[in-house]
Amino acid sequence: MEAAPPESAAPITPVLVAEHLERKLPGDPPVTLVTDIDLAIEPGKFTAIVGPSGCGKSSLLYLLGLIDRPTDGRLLLEGRDMMPLSGDERAQIRLRHFGFVFQFHFLLPEFTALDNVMMPIRRLGRLSLPGARERASDLLTSMGLGDKLHKPPDHLSGGERQRVAIARAMANNPLLVLGDEPTGNLDSTNSARVVELFRELAHEQGRAVVCVTHDPGIAEVADIRVSMLDGRICEVLRQT
Amino acid sequence: MFPRLGLLLHIAAMHLLVRRRQTLVATSGVAVGVGFFLAVSALMVGSQTDFVKTLIAAAPHIIISDELRSPSPQPGVREYGKTGAVELHGYKVRNEVRGIKDWQQILREIDAMPGAIGSPSLSGAVTLRQGGRDEPLGVVGIDPTIETRVSTISEKLRAGRLIDLERVQGGVIIGEDLAERLGLGMGDIVAATSARGVSRSLRIVGLFKKGQSGLGSGTGYMLLREAQSLLGRPFVINRLGVKLPDPYTADAVAKQLEARHGYKAESWQERSADFLGLLLTRNVIMYTVVSAILLVASFGIYTAVSNSVTDKRRDIAIMRSMGFSQGDLQFVFVVEGMALAVAGVIAGWLFGFALMTVLGSLEFPIQGEVRHLPLDRSTRQYLIAAAASLFAGIFAAWLPARKTALVDPVDILRGAV
Ligand SMILES: Nc1ncnc2c1ncn2[C@@H]1O[C@H](COP(=O)(O)OP(=O)(O)O)[C@@H](O)[C@H]1O
Ligand SMILES: [Mg+2]
Repeated sequence: MEAAPPESAAPITPVLVAEHLERKLPGDPPVTLVTDIDLAIEPGKFTAIVGPSGCGKSSLLYLLGLIDRPTDGRLLLEGRDMMPLSGDERAQIRLRHFGFVFQFHFLLPEFTALDNVMMPIRRLGRLSLPGARERASDLLTSMGLGDKLHKPPDHLSGGERQRVAIARAMANNPLLVLGDEPTGNLDSTNSARVVELFRELAHEQGRAVVCVTHDPGIAEVADIRVSMLDGRICEVLRQT
Repeated sequence: MFPRLGLLLHIAAMHLLVRRRQTLVATSGVAVGVGFFLAVSALMVGSQTDFVKTLIAAAPHIIISDELRSPSPQPGVREYGKTGAVELHGYKVRNEVRGIKDWQQILREIDAMPGAIGSPSLSGAVTLRQGGRDEPLGVVGIDPTIETRVSTISEKLRAGRLIDLERVQGGVIIGEDLAERLGLGMGDIVAATSARGVSRSLRIVGLFKKGQSGLGSGTGYMLLREAQSLLGRPFVINRLGVKLPDPYTADAVAKQLEARHGYKAESWQERSADFLGLLLTRNVIMYTVVSAILLVASFGIYTAVSNSVTDKRRDIAIMRSMGFSQGDLQFVFVVEGMALAVAGVIAGWLFGFALMTVLGSLEFPIQGEVRHLPLDRSTRQYLIAAAASLFAGIFAAWLPARKTALVDPVDILRGAV
C-alpha cells in the first residue's frame, strides 16, 4: 500500500514533513530501524502510528521529534530543513516547538509537579519566574491537578503523573505534541482521559498531535492512522 | 538568561540536596583540606617570618671584618711575579697586623648613608681569674650609645644597663652562668689578663640572661676604649657592624663597601645563605604537602559529581529531549562541584580559624618565659586556600561533567521502554 502525499489535495499545510527518512544502526550487518518514510504531519490533527511491537514506531517518533538523526532523507519543520542544524539548534527547536510524552512519565523526581512543568518554560526564558509559575499552574489546573501542584512525582498516582507530563509537554505552547505509548502504563479510565486530552490538543488548540500506540482506543479516535511494518509505513488511513 | 541560569542553579541545588550524605562528605573533605592548609601554612610562614626576623636582628645587617677575601700577595711574589723560579735567602713571610685602622673614615661614610648606623667593636680573648679559678672570656669592646641603637643586647640583660659601661671605670657585662661559675655578682671585681700580658681589674656592671643564642656564655662587653687598652691594640677595631633602614638592601650595600675599602663586608644574607636555602627547601616541601592535601580534598568533589552524573543519566536524557543543551547540563554539574568547593572553603575557613586559635593558645615555657607558636594569620592564606580549592573543585567537577555529553537520550529513552 502506498502513502498518498496528502498536501497536494488537502488545504492544510503540514507542520512537519518527512522525506525518505531512513535510520540505520552502524554494524555488521547494519540494522535498519526505519526506512523510506514519507509522512506529513498536519496541525489540528491527531495522528496515530500503529503496528506490531518492534516495527520501528518509537524509532520513527525519535526522528520526527529531532531526538535522533536520520541516516538518510530530510525533515522539514514549517518548510525549514532541519538536517543542517547543530545539536544545540535542534535542542532549541525541541524546546520551543515540541512536547514529548513517553510511556513512563519521566518527571524529575526531586521536583514538584509545578516545578517539573515550569522547567521548559524557565529554560526557554521568555516568561518571568512568576509568569512561568502562573502558566504552569494554569496548565495543571486545567488538567484537574490544581490541588497537586506542590506534590513530588512519587506522591502522585500513575494517571496524575502522566497528566503532569502532558502539562509539561504543553508548557511552551508547542506546534507538535509527540507521544510514545502515553497510555501504555495506565488503566482504562486514565487512558480514556489522556486520549481525550490529546484530542482536545489537536481539535481545540490546533496542534499537531502524533501518538505511537498499541491502544486500539487511540487508533480508533485518531484522525489519521499510520500503520507500520518492518520499519516501513504500509498504510495511511484518514478517518472521519 | 536569568530564568535559565536560575533554573540550572535550582537543578544543581536539588541534586546536592537529595544526595545529602555525599554532599556532606565532599564538603567536609574540602573543609579539612582548607583547614589544615591554613594551620600548616600559618605555622610555616609564621615561623619563617619569626626566624628571619631573629636572624636579621641577631647581628648587624652587614659585618665588616678585618679579613680580606683573598690574602694579599707576599712581597716576594709581588717583586718577582708568580711564574719565575727565584732562590731567596733569609726571606720572612710577612704577617700583616690585623685590624681595621682606617675605621673612623668608613664609619663616617656609613653614617652619611640615610638611616644607616655603623657600630665599631674590637674583640679579643682575655682570661678572668677569681679565687684561683681561670675562665676564658671573649671581650667585645663597644660604644654603648651606638650599640643600644643597633642591637638587641639590652633586652638580653638580666641586670644592669649597657650605658653603665661608660659610668664605671673597668666596667664589664658577662653572662649569668659564667658569673655563677666564678662566684661573682653585680658590682664584684675580677682580674682580667689579655694575651699581650696586660692586666686590669674589671667590675661587673651587668649580667646576661642564660641561654642566649649568639651570645656564648664566654662573651663579655666592655667599653671600646678600655678593650683596646686591655687587648693592647689602641685605636684599632676588628669589626664594624652596619645596621640599615631596609635589611634587604644589605647584599648590595655590602658589595659596595667591600669594593671601596677592601675589607670583607658580609651581609646577613651571605652569612645565613645555608639557612635561607633551607627555608626555601622547607617552603617547597610545605607547598607540595599542602597542595597534595587540597588535591586529595578535590577527589571528594570528583567522586560526588561523577556519581551524580551516573545517577542522573535518565534525568539528563529527559532534559536533553526536553531541549536543554549539552552546555546546560555540563554547567549544572560543574556548578555542583563549585558549590561543594565553596561550602567546603567556608567550612574550612572556620575550621582553619579554630585550629589556629587552638595552636595560638598553646603555651611553651622556654627558659622561664612563656612562648607561643609563631603564626601568620594573614588573610592572604585564606585567599590562597580558597582560590586553590575553587580551582581544584571546578576542575574536579568539570572532568565528570563532560560525561553528560556522552549520554544519548535515544539510548536511555529506548532502554526505558
Ligand atoms: N540499539 C539497537 N540495536 C539493535 N537493535 C535495535 C536497537 N534499537 C532498536 N532496535 C531494534 O529496532 C527495532 C525497532 O525498535 P522500536 O522503534 O523501538 O520499535 P517499536 O517502538 O515499534 O516497538 C526493534 O526490532 C528493536 O529491537
Ligand atoms: Mg516503542
